[in-house]
Amino acid sequence: MASSMEKERRLEDILPENTLKTRVPQEQVERVVRPAPSRYRNEISRYIVHRSQDCRSCGKCLEICSYGVHVHKPGFKYFGEPQHHLCVGPSCEKSGRYCVAHCPTGALQIRENPMYRALGDYRWTADLILATWKMAETGDVPDPAYDYDYECGNSGGGFDRLRFKFPEKPPVELDESEIDTSITLNRRGDGRPQVTIDVPWYGGGMSFGSVSNVTQLSKARACVAFNTFTCTGEGGYMERMRPYDDHVITQVATGLFGVREETIQRVPIVEFKYAQGAKPGLGGHLLGDKNTPAVARMREAVLGISLFSPFPFHSVYSIEDHMKHLDWIKHINRRALVSTKVSTPTDVDMVAVGSYSAGTHIVHIDGGYGGTGAAPDIAKKNIAMPIEYAIGKVHQFLAAEGVRDKVTLIASGGIRTAYDIAKAIALGADGVVIGTAEMVALGCVRCSRCESGRGCPRGIATTDPVLAAKMDIDWGSQRLINLYSAWHKTLKSILRRLGMRSVGELRGRTDLMMHLDYTDEGTTNT
Amino acid sequence: MNSELISRLTDSRKILAESLDYPPILRKESEEGGCGVVGFCCSLPVAGRHIYEPSRQMHNRGNGKGGGIAAVGLVPEQLGVSREILDSHYLLHVAFIDTNVRAEIENEFITPFFDIAASAELDKVDDWKTVPGLEVLPPDVCRYFVRVKPAVLDSFIEKNRLQKHGRDEAEDEFISQNSFSLNQRYYASLGEKRAFVLSHGKDIMILKVVGYAEAIVKYYKIEDLCAHVWIAHQRFPTKGRVWHPGGAHPFAAIDMALVHNGDFANYHSVTEYLKQRHIYPQFLTDTEVSALLFDLFSRTYHYPLEYIIEALAPTTELDFDRLSPERQKTYRTIQATHIHGSPDGPWFFIIARNLARQRKFQLMGITDTAMLRPQVFAFCDGEVQVGLIASEKQAIDATLLSLSKDDRRICPVADRYWNARGGSYEDGGAFIFDLNKDKEGAVRITCTDKFSTPVAMPGGTESCDFSKEFSYSIEAEETIPTLISERFVPGNASAIFEMIRDLIPQSTYDEIHLACRQIINQAKDPSKTSTAIEVLTLLNDRRFTLGTKRRSHVLHIIRTELNLLFLGLSKISVKDAARGAYRLIDFESRSDLREPQGGETTLVINAAHFAPEGDDCDAALLVDAYMKGWRRFICFNCIGQRYSGCGLGPETDEVTIDLYGSSGDYLGSGIDGLTITVHGNAQDQLGQIIKQGRLIIHGDVGQTFMYGAKGGEVYVLGNAAGRPLINSVGRPKVVINGTCLDFLAESFMAGDPLSGGGFVILNGVRLDNDGKLIDLADPYPGSNLFSLASGGAIFVRDPRKTLVDQQLNGGRFAKVTDADWELILPYLEENEKHFGIKVSELLRVKGRQLKPCNVYRKVVPGNVKDIVLEDTDDVWADEPVEEMAATM
Repeated sequence: MASSMEKERRLEDILPENTLKTRVPQEQVERVVRPAPSRYRNEISRYIVHRSQDCRSCGKCLEICSYGVHVHKPGFKYFGEPQHHLCVGPSCEKSGRYCVAHCPTGALQIRENPMYRALGDYRWTADLILATWKMAETGDVPDPAYDYDYECGNSGGGFDRLRFKFPEKPPVELDESEIDTSITLNRRGDGRPQVTIDVPWYGGGMSFGSVSNVTQLSKARACVAFNTFTCTGEGGYMERMRPYDDHVITQVATGLFGVREETIQRVPIVEFKYAQGAKPGLGGHLLGDKNTPAVARMREAVLGISLFSPFPFHSVYSIEDHMKHLDWIKHINRRALVSTKVSTPTDVDMVAVGSYSAGTHIVHIDGGYGGTGAAPDIAKKNIAMPIEYAIGKVHQFLAAEGVRDKVTLIASGGIRTAYDIAKAIALGADGVVIGTAEMVALGCVRCSRCESGRGCPRGIATTDPVLAAKMDIDWGSQRLINLYSAWHKTLKSILRRLGMRSVGELRGRTDLMMHLDYTDEGTTNT
Repeated sequence: MNSELISRLTDSRKILAESLDYPPILRKESEEGGCGVVGFCCSLPVAGRHIYEPSRQMHNRGNGKGGGIAAVGLVPEQLGVSREILDSHYLLHVAFIDTNVRAEIENEFITPFFDIAASAELDKVDDWKTVPGLEVLPPDVCRYFVRVKPAVLDSFIEKNRLQKHGRDEAEDEFISQNSFSLNQRYYASLGEKRAFVLSHGKDIMILKVVGYAEAIVKYYKIEDLCAHVWIAHQRFPTKGRVWHPGGAHPFAAIDMALVHNGDFANYHSVTEYLKQRHIYPQFLTDTEVSALLFDLFSRTYHYPLEYIIEALAPTTELDFDRLSPERQKTYRTIQATHIHGSPDGPWFFIIARNLARQRKFQLMGITDTAMLRPQVFAFCDGEVQVGLIASEKQAIDATLLSLSKDDRRICPVADRYWNARGGSYEDGGAFIFDLNKDKEGAVRITCTDKFSTPVAMPGGTESCDFSKEFSYSIEAEETIPTLISERFVPGNASAIFEMIRDLIPQSTYDEIHLACRQIINQAKDPSKTSTAIEVLTLLNDRRFTLGTKRRSHVLHIIRTELNLLFLGLSKISVKDAARGAYRLIDFESRSDLREPQGGETTLVINAAHFAPEGDDCDAALLVDAYMKGWRRFICFNCIGQRYSGCGLGPETDEVTIDLYGSSGDYLGSGIDGLTITVHGNAQDQLGQIIKQGRLIIHGDVGQTFMYGAKGGEVYVLGNAAGRPLINSVGRPKVVINGTCLDFLAESFMAGDPLSGGGFVILNGVRLDNDGKLIDLADPYPGSNLFSLASGGAIFVRDPRKTLVDQQLNGGRFAKVTDADWELILPYLEENEKHFGIKVSELLRVKGRQLKPCNVYRKVVPGNVKDIVLEDTDDVWADEPVEEMAATM
């Protein structure tokens, strides 16, 4: 491709030979949906199908079920274990295809899985988790028959109380192929590359150490497929990540773990992490258990010791220091865009404008809803400002200062669904960063044990080689590609219903939303 | 001062505020943080234009949204008044943003209350847009020399029952309250700001604009206005599209002006504290609050300066324990009373004030206890004395250079440069330049710390008169050139250096100059250039006996000649191989950059006109030159440009960079293999995330040196400021010959030194003026050493065992074994090579040669468990990197 040739040539003018020498051919990943069923034989399901010994293997259930719940392998005398997670429950009765009703011997029973009740929490309800799994498996939104309530959680606030006011009929009839979901990340017009991503989201920083290498690589591959980015987090740059350099954000966080000139020079975007919305003012921490030999080697730290990233940067105590810090990175990597990730204190608007005037391309505000099990409970949701307030505050303030179109505003902290993405954008963000949703797609059950990471029961947020081996990269990548595809479709359908050709048109359109606390309509036509 | 008097004063303020309907809710109006601050004082009045160059060089510490200057100790003739009026009358400086209100304000706030001895409108440039660096039209400014009318003052005293106060104090209070009323009416209470008082005090004036500070000098045409003390400030506010000059620094209180670099975390608490004392901010920035605090302690409570500083920056931890019991008692009381009003850092104040009753002016710098903002002090002694304080050393250099151009008696090299250690028992984190006036009005400057202890200046009584041309005796002209040319064999630099060094004590300045000139002449022979550079560099870097001469003056000669040598090298446009291995490039010729050819080895960059950062900085040119194949670099005439040596990428072992002049922040941050030598002091954020390579610093280094470093070999002749080597991992090896302010190697994680991990050797010594090794009082005075460290070690030269357990937070002392000594000895030997600090001297204590284990102490992590984990290489796993690269 001519454009990529041009890019290569420019790189040589910009970066020293020794840096380019470490560049490896960049791997391509196809944006293709393929089924990626759960890696566990019995995925957690909403319903449990019970087959008693009265079953005569007549095959009626097999014939009647539209969802492939019942399994009868050829050559076997008896039915196998049903695919519980495919079962939509007693609602089949309406369509007359309810296996329990049709079973001549009454051998079938369907009841709610007690694990379904235990699964999830208010923010990530069981339905949301199951629906995300379905999306990660199929690459599409779940069949309505499952009746998952997956557009919102049940937290009683935030995005969960916001709804779009869709018009009865779109103002313009658009075909989804006409709808553009891409956003550009450099709006400064400063001669640095106009990096554009195909979807208005990219992956959040999770270090090697906090998650396994398989998790990191799966994220990276999905980002390649969707021409977006993933972030190294603060734990160094895995060598195995290098074939994805062009889709990686190197994070420079307060501990400076694993940050070297080379890892800054390799990538198109460098992110400064000042704080995390889940735990503002607390720095970062990787508890000793997760500091395995591989982690210790990459961070060049002492094995088994809890690793703390201080708060804040020791070299940045002011806006002018921040500018100096950005200039440093811009000097080291002369093509990089820089992103400034901050949490959402009450004066987040001033922080954002300050970051802009210091030269950042992306202002990334991280609200208080995010955070995995590694963030202390006392901090989560209790310190930072809720992201839905922060987005509006920052968006309006940037506009009032006349610089809104010179900077890309990215929001994160509790973005779970394509609806959350659309809401964040309608509140004023250009795009979002996601974190936990990807973990869920990989099979996370939200057990909140991330901090004792070697024991992540699902082998995602672990550095234990045995546990990490429970997932393979192809499967992980496919799950994320599928999730992204489902979101992409949903986002396009939201835009289509609003009659918008591009996601940029949605930005700041708070008039298209309502807050259930302040509206008489109890329900809406979302 | 007794409490009744205090309460009468504060009560009067309460009544005033109530009468003006002072609003109860306060919110800090703007966020700002790091700013550029500079202050200097001179025993002679010096012109305003000297604030221009340092201000310009601090542009990158402001954003052009606010700048200000203050001057104290003016020249009466220039203001059109007599000395008597200047000394006795208040100089009221009022800014009119809306010029229509002037008559109204004069009728209401000035003529009814004051006897006006003189008044004038400040001259200004006709078209403000012709002055670069201005954002909006600056206000019109009028100055009034006033005294309060006796009858007005009488009734003020009567009304507020201030009879027991001195009449002069009551007058101060009246002036202050009158300005408060004016500001409240015409500034604070309005959406549309109209006018405000810039300054009110005797022999002091403040000017501020929305723009850069140096624009003031041009706009108000004060290039030639002279004063003893000047301070300037570049501001970086981040909120609001409309700014008012009122928010810019300096802020005034009676007889004082204050600039501030930093940002309070507890603005609200401090304003509450002030409110309880009936003091009400009007401009809603933390700088105003700082000036109000200082004024409260000084004018209401009558605290001596030491107590004021203690109230602002409390002494804590080990430093508190090391105070005398009497001081502890007093300080405890001060802290108990005023801790809520103590600004919670980061902050650094520069304050200029006039102590009319004591016939002196004062310039001081105070840093917060945590030392989170950069600060440098300097002093130039001699016939004309100059004291300087700045946020960056290059601002000091720029000021001195500018001053020396006007008055050749001022040497561009200061006698001493130093940092304050915030809230410490040694200097209290503050230094004060006192400008004492004798009977004739002549001024001499003394410099003391918080505890009134004078700052020792290096010896040397004989000054060089730079106003005269150098002239050589016939005898010298015969002997010196011959001596040098005879001995001048390429590669023989150290022998030539030693010869000249030994001659210097009995030589005159002229003879030293002649010797340097002779070396330059030798350099014209391409085969001798590098040796000549080396000799002059050694003369610049090393400490040796100078006889009665001043080191700063000798250094100035050497540096000037070295610069001449560099400037005389062949330009980059010259492609003739016979013209030697060096090629000179400067800002004008930067586009001529090309690949090295023939025998060309070294690119010499004249950094003078390069930008401090961005595409036009010398560090960017250096990267381009490296990419074109240059491997050796000399940068001279540096004026604080940043990022030197950064961006060259991995595997740069063959690269060397030598820096002369004022090197800048982030030097060598990220380097991977190359060697950088700084021939002088270095600034902040050096060697961050350095992977490998060498840094050799012939001076001190600033804040957060080697933060997050992964490796590298670093030698520092002098001290490191606060927080060196925080969060370092891997295998950095560092020798610091002086000491550190505090927090050395916090969270150090650099493995096991005996099996390749990192360590720091802290020698706790300094070289005196004759190059003799002197033990510092404490090898490490800070309260926190190696806190929370989990790897690596610190080797502290501490023969007197002054380090105590309380300084270690998680670390513990361990014996220095033979293996340890074998480990560190090569680094001490290398250190000897760079700085001439002999290992044998380090081991000599009170004249006796001791065993290493009795001289050095080792600090190791205290509680590291032995962990055995299965090692699986799953991150770098079977990645055929080389092959993949080859297939590209």
